[in-house]
This record gives sequence, C-alpha cells and structure tokens, in this order.
Amino acid sequence: MERTREYARAAAILALATALALPFRGRINTIDVAMLYLLAVVAVATLSRRGPALLACVLAIAAFDYLFVPPYSTFDVHDADYLFTFGVMFVVALLMTGLTGRIREQAREASERQRRTAALYELDQELVGAVTQAEVVGIAERHIGRAGGGTARFVLTDREGAPPAEPSWPCDGMFESVPVRVAAAWVHQSGAVAGLGTAHCGEAEALVCPVRTAGRRFGVVALLPQPGGRLPSAEEAETVEALAGHTALVLERVALHEQHEAARAEVEAERLRTSLLSSLSHDLRTPLGTIEGAASSLLASSVPEEADGLSLEARRELADTILEESRRMTRLVSNLLDMVRVETGSLAVRKSWQPIEEVLGVTLIRLEEGLRDHPVEVHLPTGLPLVPIDEVLVEQVFVNLLENAARYTPPGTRLDVAAWRDEGAVVVEVADRGPGLPGGDEELVFRKFYRADGTPGGSAAGGAGLGLTICRGIVTAHGGRIWAEPRPGGGSAFRFTLPLDGGPPEPVPADPADA
Amino acid sequence: MTPPPAVVLLIEDDVPMRRFLRTALHAHAWRVIEAATAREGLAQAAGRNPDVILLDLGLPDGDGLEVAPRLRRSTRAPIIVISARGRERDKVAALDLGADDYLTKPFGVPELLARMRVALRHASRPADAPEAPVFEAGQVRVDLVRRRVFRAGDEVHLTPTEYKLLATMIRHAGRVATHRQLLEEVWGANYVGQTHYLRVYMAQLRHKLEPDPARPRLLATEPGVGYRLREG
Repeated sequence: MERTREYARAAAILALATALALPFRGRINTIDVAMLYLLAVVAVATLSRRGPALLACVLAIAAFDYLFVPPYSTFDVHDADYLFTFGVMFVVALLMTGLTGRIREQAREASERQRRTAALYELDQELVGAVTQAEVVGIAERHIGRAGGGTARFVLTDREGAPPAEPSWPCDGMFESVPVRVAAAWVHQSGAVAGLGTAHCGEAEALVCPVRTAGRRFGVVALLPQPGGRLPSAEEAETVEALAGHTALVLERVALHEQHEAARAEVEAERLRTSLLSSLSHDLRTPLGTIEGAASSLLASSVPEEADGLSLEARRELADTILEESRRMTRLVSNLLDMVRVETGSLAVRKSWQPIEEVLGVTLIRLEEGLRDHPVEVHLPTGLPLVPIDEVLVEQVFVNLLENAARYTPPGTRLDVAAWRDEGAVVVEVADRGPGLPGGDEELVFRKFYRADGTPGGSAAGGAGLGLTICRGIVTAHGGRIWAEPRPGGGSAFRFTLPLDGGPPEPVPADPADA
Repeated sequence: MTPPPAVVLLIEDDVPMRRFLRTALHAHAWRVIEAATAREGLAQAAGRNPDVILLDLGLPDGDGLEVAPRLRRSTRAPIIVISARGRERDKVAALDLGADDYLTKPFGVPELLARMRVALRHASRPADAPEAPVFEAGQVRVDLVRRRVFRAGDEVHLTPTEYKLLATMIRHAGRVATHRQLLEEVWGANYVGQTHYLRVYMAQLRHKLEPDPARPRLLATEPGVGYRLREG
C-alpha cells in the first residue's frame, strides 16, 4: 500500500515538473529544464525510498529526452552532451536517495528508541507499586501486549528453591500450540528470543522472549499478535524483549522482598513464642507460688502446738493474699481463653439491641474495686440509639480498656467514657489524662503480648499484653474498628465503633401516660 | 432448742470444689449431702428431701441442662446452678428450664450464702401467699397495695409498664429474672423475643429510681442472662 503510494507520488512529481516546463519548450535553455528535472528527482529521493527515487530518475531522463531534447517526440539523442547530462542526473538521484535514506533511518531509529524508552518508563511507573509476583505479571502483560500489538502471557518457573529448569508449560491459550511450547522451552534454556518472526522456531504463532536477569531465570513471556493483525515489527520485537528483561529485574526485586518479609515474619513469630512462654511462665507461676506459700503458712499455723505462731491479723493477711492472687490468675486465664477464642475465630457473637449505658453500668459495678483510685465520668447523650451488640463481649472490651487506663495512669487520674452517634455507628471513647502513649505506639499497643513498658514477661503494671488484642478481636467481630489516639490536651483516647447494622428493632410501644 | 439445720444437696464432680463447699457450708450451719454425678444427684434429691440444691452444669454423666428439669420434677427445692463465665446460654437455658438462680465460678462464700438464703426464703413462701405490702431497698420504697413508689421520700411517677416491671422484679427480689421471664410476665408470651422492650424500660426505671443510672445498684444487670433486684 505504502509502497504503491510512494511510486504514484514519484510519478506525480515528475508529471508536475513536465507540466511546468513544457509550455516554455524552445524558449528556455534545455539545461534549465534538466535542472528542473534534477530538482524533481531530488524531491522524490528526499521523500521516498530508493525504488521510487530510481523510478523518478528513469522517468525524468525519459521525459527530458523525449520532450525536450531535439528532435522532440523521439528518444533519439543527437548531441552526446546530453548523455553526460543523463549520467549526472542518475548519479545525483542515487546519491540523494542514499543520503536521505540514511537520515530517515536515523530518525526512525531515534523515534523507535524514544518509543521503547517511553514504554519502559510507563511499565516502570506502574511497577513501582507492585509488591507481588502476580501484580507484576499482570501489569507487565498489559504493557508488553500493548507494545507488541497483541496479547502477552507470562509463564514463570516455580518460586525460589524450585530447580531453574523446566517451568510446567501450560497447555491452554497460546500455549496450546506445540510450536509455541517448543519455542518457549528453547527460549527458557538458551535465554535468546525465538518464535514468530525470528530465525529459531519461526513457525510458532507467538514471539517468545526470555524473562531472566543475570542471576536468575524466571521463565518466558509469549506475545501473540492480534488475530488477523500484522506481525510485530523487528523494532516492536526488540521493545518486547527489553520490557521482558526489565520485568525480570522487577520480579527479582519482588522475590527478594518476599524472602525478606518471610524471614522477618519468622523472626517475629519466634519473638512472640518466646515472649508468650516467658510471660506465661511468669504470670502463672508467680501467683501460684504466692498462693502455695500463703496457704502452707496458714496450714502450719493451724497445727495445735504452733497455733499461736500467727496472729489473727497475719492469718487474715495471708488469706487476703490468696484471694488477690487467685483473682489475678482468674483474670489471666480468662484473658488467655478469650485470646484463643479470638484467634481461632470461635468467638460467637450473639447480638441484641440495647442501650450502651447498660453494658457500661455492668462494667463500672464489676470494676468498682479496681477503679477505686480512678474516678470515671460517664458522658452519654440522651437519645443515643440502641446498638446491636453481644453484651458479654462488649463488657469485656470496656473492662479491658478501663483496667488498662487505670493501670497506666497515676492514681487520682480521672477517666472519661463517652459515646456519640456517627453516621451508621455509635462511637465509644475511653479517655484518660495520663502520660499518653509513646509516639508511634498507637497501633503497636494492639499487638499480642505488647506491653507499654516494652518488657515481656511481668511488667510492673502486671498485664499479660493481651487485653487490647482481645478488644480488637471483639470489636472486629462486631464489624467495628478500634484505635488509639493522643487525646487533645494530654493523655490517650481509645475509641471503637459499633455499627448500627442489621436493621433497627421494632420501636418500643409507647406507654399510656398515666396509670 | 435450735431448729434442725437446713439441708443442701451439692451435685458437683470436682473433688476439691466439693471439699471447699462442704467445709464452708458446714461452718455456716448447713447440713451437706454430696453427689458426684447427675444420677446420684437425682437419687439423693428424691430420697433425702433437701432444702436447696447446688447443681454444677458441667457434670461428667449428664448435661446439667437435662438434669435441672428432671430435678424440678422430683422436688420443689430451689435449684442454684453453678457454671463458668462465658456459658451464659447454658445458664439461661437452665433457668428457663426450672432452675431458680445461678452463680458464676469463681465465687465467694458470702455470695453463695446470700443466694441460698434468698432461695430458701422464696421457697418457704407458698405460691399464693400475699406479698409483703411494702418493699424497701436503699432509698426506694414501694407500696404494693396502693401502687405508689418513693425515692428518698419523694413520690416517683411511673408509667403502667414501668410499674408492672418493677413489681415483677420485686416478686423475684434477690433472685435473677431472665429476659424471657420478665418479658413473659410484663408483656406476655408473644413478646419473649423483644428483649429491647425490656432493656429500654429497665433504663427508664433506672433513670427514675437509681441515684446514678450509669452504676445501677438496685436494678442490677446480669449480662447475657437478665436482671436482679438487689435488696441489700
């Protein structure tokens, strides 16, 4: 198509030159006419390839000879000088086509390079955010498909650790074709391009490029041209190869990152296990030791001959210690049990619509003793809607938040509990005016076995580092969210949402005003 | 002459727990009959005529939930169910199946004795005996004959439903009343699913009667189970 147009254009330019010169035949110097034809040939050579330029040259000489060289209307040449003119015209045409051809080639190469750079840049831009192999492959397939004018598909070897040999070639899509699979296997082995439009395995329907870095073979990418579309040009093939190579680099980065993450998770899990063991052995043994000691003292003092070894007050003290420590163990064990329920997903949430005030009331009564030194102020607006919650679980959230607040703030610190409606949820806040959370710990505090003072296994404050993790488990099971933030004016605030979903309950029937 | 000691039947499989309860109850002048299994417990209940039964819900040979109604068929003695925290559904089921009250492990002896006293008191009053005409607890005084309610000497106006709910709670005074029991007695059997009616009216009552409705002392919540009117 293109080619035919170029020849037609060459002929048209020559015709135009002829039409310009013909009216002045005999009145102007034939050499000037020759110059005009030369100009036309140069014009054609600049605009077109060698073929049309040669055609223009032949046409120019023929037309010049036939129309302008006496005798007119014959190809006879009487003056040998004209043969020299023809020769010069021919040589000039040849030189010009060579020259313009090179310039055009350079321009084309430059624009091709620019296109490839742009394609690489675009691919890179999108790959920056990719963190998994699947993401990288998805993005790269899209870009390579676009750059090669077809559909691209990656086949990768298994993860790190798998032998670098054979990926298991899929047998669907473009890999259904045996030549494509043969080409793919060869490409994976040799690291060179093969398939459609190349010297190797040219009968395959797809172009196959290696996906590899200097150190690692990841697999191949195959490019299948659009059905009925043209073959990818050599330049497009090169672009595809470049993109494939670049993708390999990104895949390597992702693989390294994944390895790093796995190692980190392993270290973290190990740290947790150690922390769990040390905290468990400490937290369980300490109260047990105290209980055993106190009970054996009591027992010894009840033997008749030693009966007056312990004063009544001392016996009372021992009994009190036993009680305190048993309560501490009870708390710890139920925390551990709750944790297991949260972790194993066996937390059964039985919601019913109720005022938040009721759950809070239960908590405040239950914690009366523990909150002796921390006055709690309750701010609940009238008209707060009922919330669909499991009261036993949400009570635990309140208990853990209030106990934490009391534990990590000096005695006398006031605690504030507030709730308000926000969009489709009720937000609850437990806030204090204590020292606040260390910066950046707002999210860390919800981690299992995290303790504010950073010492696993028996902090002065005496928590197991499970309370907030359990809170998060319970709130999440309610479809809500829990977080900590610095409280404006000092202290910390823990907030959680309780979504008002599931459709509000039937309104409570109004009572007749008077009995 | 002192009255004969009241008899408690203790159905509990855990030996240390039995030993502790036996000692504590003896010290408070109760006579204790023990049973380690549901079968034994049922036999003892029929043969020994206890005044109160303490029933552990986690028996090896039978679900406590089945034992409660079978005990109920053979004796009129009040049944106090003992179970661990987090088993609210079991407690509710046991209460709705004939148990009279419950205690959550771990519990203290004073709490246990208080529950047993209340149970005895309710059991000793024949079902058709007239109630005391006046109920008093803390700052609240209820004249059940004239249907008037006072708080710290001032009359409090209650709506008919609020009053009915309060009167029902007074009938259960000291004992737990499950959501279902209260809904049935105040609103009727068709409303046992509408727990939020009960919660809304309970909140209203608290705002009218409690000095600090956010820390209810008279109308206490038993989470997941129901409510308890505290007398002390």
